[in-house]
Amino acid sequence: MLSLKNISKYHKAGSLKTTILNNINLDVDAGEFVSIMGPSGSGKSSLLNIIGMLDEPSEGYQYFLNEPVHQLKEKQRSALYKKNIGFVFQAYHLIDELNVYENIETPLLYQDVKAAERKALVADMLDRFQIVGKKDLFPSQLSGGQQQLVGIARALIVTPKLLLADEPTGNLNSKQGDEIMELFSKLNKEGMTIIQVTHSEKNAAYGSRIINLLDGTIESSKNI
Amino acid sequence: MIKNYIKTAWRNLWKNKIFSALNIAGLAVGMAACIVIMSFVFYEKSFDNFHTKNIYRLNEVQSFPGMVSSQKVGLSMYPMGPTLKNEFPQVKNFTRVKWNDKYQVTYQDKRMFLPQAFSVDSTFLQMFDFKLIAGDRKTALEKPNSIVLTQATAKKIFGDVNPLGKTITHYGNDTVIFAVTGILQDIPKNSQMQFDCLFSFSSVYHKWMNRWGGNWLDTYVELAPGTDATILESKLPAYMLKYSGRPDITKFYKLFFLPLKDVHANAADIGLDYINYQKFDKKATNLFAIIALIVLLIACINFMNLSTARSAERAREVGVRKSIGARRLELAVQFLSETIMLSLFALVAGMILVWISLPYINNLSGRDISINLWASPGTAAIIIGFTIVVGIVSGIYPAVYLSSFKPVQVLKGSTESGGNKGTFRNVLVVGQFTSAVFLMIATFFVVKQLRYMQQQDPGFTRDQVVTVPLDGNTDQKYDVLKQQLLSSSLITGVTAAQDVLGSHLDQTGVTFKPKNGPAKQLALTQLVVDNNYLNLFGIKLIAGKNFSPAKSASGREYIINEELAHELLKDQPKNTPIASLIGQSFGNDSLGVITGISKNFNFNSLHYKVETMFMFNQRNWGYSQLSVKINGGKTNEALAFIKSVWTKNFPDRPFEYQFLDDHFNDVYKADAQISKIVSILAGLAIIISCLGLFGLASYAAEKRVKEIGVRKVLGASVQSIVLLLSGQFVKLVLMANLLAWPLAWYAMHKWLQSFAYRIDIKLSVFVFTAVLSLFIALLTISFQSVKAAIANPVKSLRSE
Repeated sequence: MLSLKNISKYHKAGSLKTTILNNINLDVDAGEFVSIMGPSGSGKSSLLNIIGMLDEPSEGYQYFLNEPVHQLKEKQRSALYKKNIGFVFQAYHLIDELNVYENIETPLLYQDVKAAERKALVADMLDRFQIVGKKDLFPSQLSGGQQQLVGIARALIVTPKLLLADEPTGNLNSKQGDEIMELFSKLNKEGMTIIQVTHSEKNAAYGSRIINLLDGTIESSKNI
Repeated sequence: MIKNYIKTAWRNLWKNKIFSALNIAGLAVGMAACIVIMSFVFYEKSFDNFHTKNIYRLNEVQSFPGMVSSQKVGLSMYPMGPTLKNEFPQVKNFTRVKWNDKYQVTYQDKRMFLPQAFSVDSTFLQMFDFKLIAGDRKTALEKPNSIVLTQATAKKIFGDVNPLGKTITHYGNDTVIFAVTGILQDIPKNSQMQFDCLFSFSSVYHKWMNRWGGNWLDTYVELAPGTDATILESKLPAYMLKYSGRPDITKFYKLFFLPLKDVHANAADIGLDYINYQKFDKKATNLFAIIALIVLLIACINFMNLSTARSAERAREVGVRKSIGARRLELAVQFLSETIMLSLFALVAGMILVWISLPYINNLSGRDISINLWASPGTAAIIIGFTIVVGIVSGIYPAVYLSSFKPVQVLKGSTESGGNKGTFRNVLVVGQFTSAVFLMIATFFVVKQLRYMQQQDPGFTRDQVVTVPLDGNTDQKYDVLKQQLLSSSLITGVTAAQDVLGSHLDQTGVTFKPKNGPAKQLALTQLVVDNNYLNLFGIKLIAGKNFSPAKSASGREYIINEELAHELLKDQPKNTPIASLIGQSFGNDSLGVITGISKNFNFNSLHYKVETMFMFNQRNWGYSQLSVKINGGKTNEALAFIKSVWTKNFPDRPFEYQFLDDHFNDVYKADAQISKIVSILAGLAIIISCLGLFGLASYAAEKRVKEIGVRKVLGASVQSIVLLLSGQFVKLVLMANLLAWPLAWYAMHKWLQSFAYRIDIKLSVFVFTAVLSLFIALLTISFQSVKAAIANPVKSLRSE
């Protein structure tokens, strides 16, 4: 599904060069559930952002669904991720001014989906996550776990091929966290490719492969 | 999609109620000010726009020997109209107009005074497009003794009777019986000509009228389309020589044309401009327009500032929206639709303000401005279109800037990427305050200059003086009136003159025959006065003596002013004393001599320098202004007494009076209006700027809440934090002052040139403005700063 070849990322501040990712090679196949682990500052989130095309690598080749991402223009790249990638964030990042229904609906608006179809899709999603009763509530009226649930629903509404999650349980208590991880596991079994960044061994174990990063390089990669 | 934008926009507004209110209020006030002023400006521009013919007014530049400077006047001579038409084929038509104030007319047993009657040539209605309801434009004024009334006048005289063909009589110096030949629709208020009736010039004719040299009417000519007026003007000297029979006429007169549509607003330097209702210099109108635009600009800057200030809060939303597929353009459109929505809200609020303030503005300006958007969809479209443009202009920066956020950066939480947008905001604040300080300084000088004009010693005392107009009939009883009035202790003095102080006085040709040289012809300002005139007005003599009361002296004693004395001594040896003029031959009476020299006094407004003038007491020339000095403590009784004396002598004449002080207020009315409007606009500019500053200060305090918390934990005092937060804004306001000073100095220097008597530009005003603006700014900021400084750091440092 995706392939990174010799990907590096560094910042330059004056004469000081800070390397964040150093010569990363990584292939992920469809149907995998990859957990990226590593200490703070090891480059986990940067790697995830590059995979999600929110950020560009400084060097290297990147392929997504056989498209050479490093050759695409900004517009083409955003069109590519808009259709195929869903994001889940540690801080949920719901839009405070929109209610649950509208938050889930927004990605469809950006893809010019017709109103009737939008309605059907959002209704399905609310149903699937059993949050129909909460559709008129605003993010501030929800618990953390519920907000993350909405976040995941929003990510899934465009039926992406890849789900990226950056510490999805980082702001949740353990019970809520477990529920989210169960959900991810279930989604994976249904065929969704997932890449998550996590600090927790326990959450990493839900995946099918664990990649350990240290100082911007892949230290180990093992299948479970 | 749009629905989604509007929803987000609306909820965002609602969430930040105070911020939104500040934002909307600032823009609303700016818009209201701009709309009101612009409708004033357009009203001014609408003057006389209903006339369709290519009409010009004939004007003169007079430069007579003895005058300090040449003068432009709106007057012309009776023979000019017909001879112009005769000489130049380009002159298609002409009409002369003579105004007659308080024109007495009688119909059956009804007697009344028409405030303004115009005597005009028969072509008047063919040239001007005043609407005629009844009668024939071509013939209505053709015959002598024809009169055309306005609808209101007809109603006043005839009630419901059809006035056509009826006769009315004018009793006066010439008694005329008029036949009503037409009815005009009432004259629009935006017409330079305001009159109650027109009557044919041919109704009254005297031989003296046809003389060259008498300037007592206005002449209007219709030029053939495409005529170059300046080329025609260049041929006028030759024309005058040809027709006047006076070989020296071009030395004294130069003629020029002024387009009819320029008469209202572009004739500020033209004097003796009697037919020019609500004459208002377009420089002032343009000044208003510029200031109104500055105020609007300040409001827009405000709007931009407050919108960008909040960008950090919106950054996360931008990141989220981008990560779920929003394109930059879609985000830009979202932010633009928000600012457009805000500006439309502001428009609604602004229109309410306009609606509230319009009566006040009409009262202040004496205009009849109305804004009816339903009646003029064009204007409405312009205003709404303009509002949307304001929304776009205000929103373009936040739209472009916010939509450029990279989701990676903003979602990480570190939103402040680079300080350059803070700099941009500071530039806006400086720009805003520069404009506000500029207006403040301008206001101080305008107000000071006006007060200076009202308080400056004009060289005579004008308080407690009541003036009463006299005419040919009432003047004959002047001596009786004077005697009866002086019998009461309520009256401290009575005098009379041919004209009222504070106006353009008549000029006349006079002979001066120095002892040691040939006689000189001079054109000078003259004032016929009663012999106690100088006493009543406290005009001081610097040489010679006052008029003697002896009858035999009448018309032979001349008192000249200092200015004229210097003029007369011009070609005498350097050290000739002024007093040497006393006893020298002066005036058109061979027995006339100069008996006294008065100190200069400003008989005209302080816009004009004191001209060379002389006073003399020629009783049989008649007076037109009675001046009564009253006992200050008993104004009402004194007025009642004057009225009783008047009515006893003239039972059928209404008693009209005006305090001389009020007359001078009228003289300075346009100045007072300008100063008031400028002050109001400057006040608004300050208020709007402060609204913006308040918003920015609260935003800055909010943004730095963590920093403040840390500083407090490290031991910073409340004062030091207030100082820290206020300091940055104080710097901006100081910078704005430094920028505004040279601009204001230059503008005020230019403006003050239009006054012959003016105040100095003092540094203290600038310093005072700086202190005041700082004080206002500090007051605005400190509320937020103190609030932030006294907050508990535990709260602000607790992480989410």
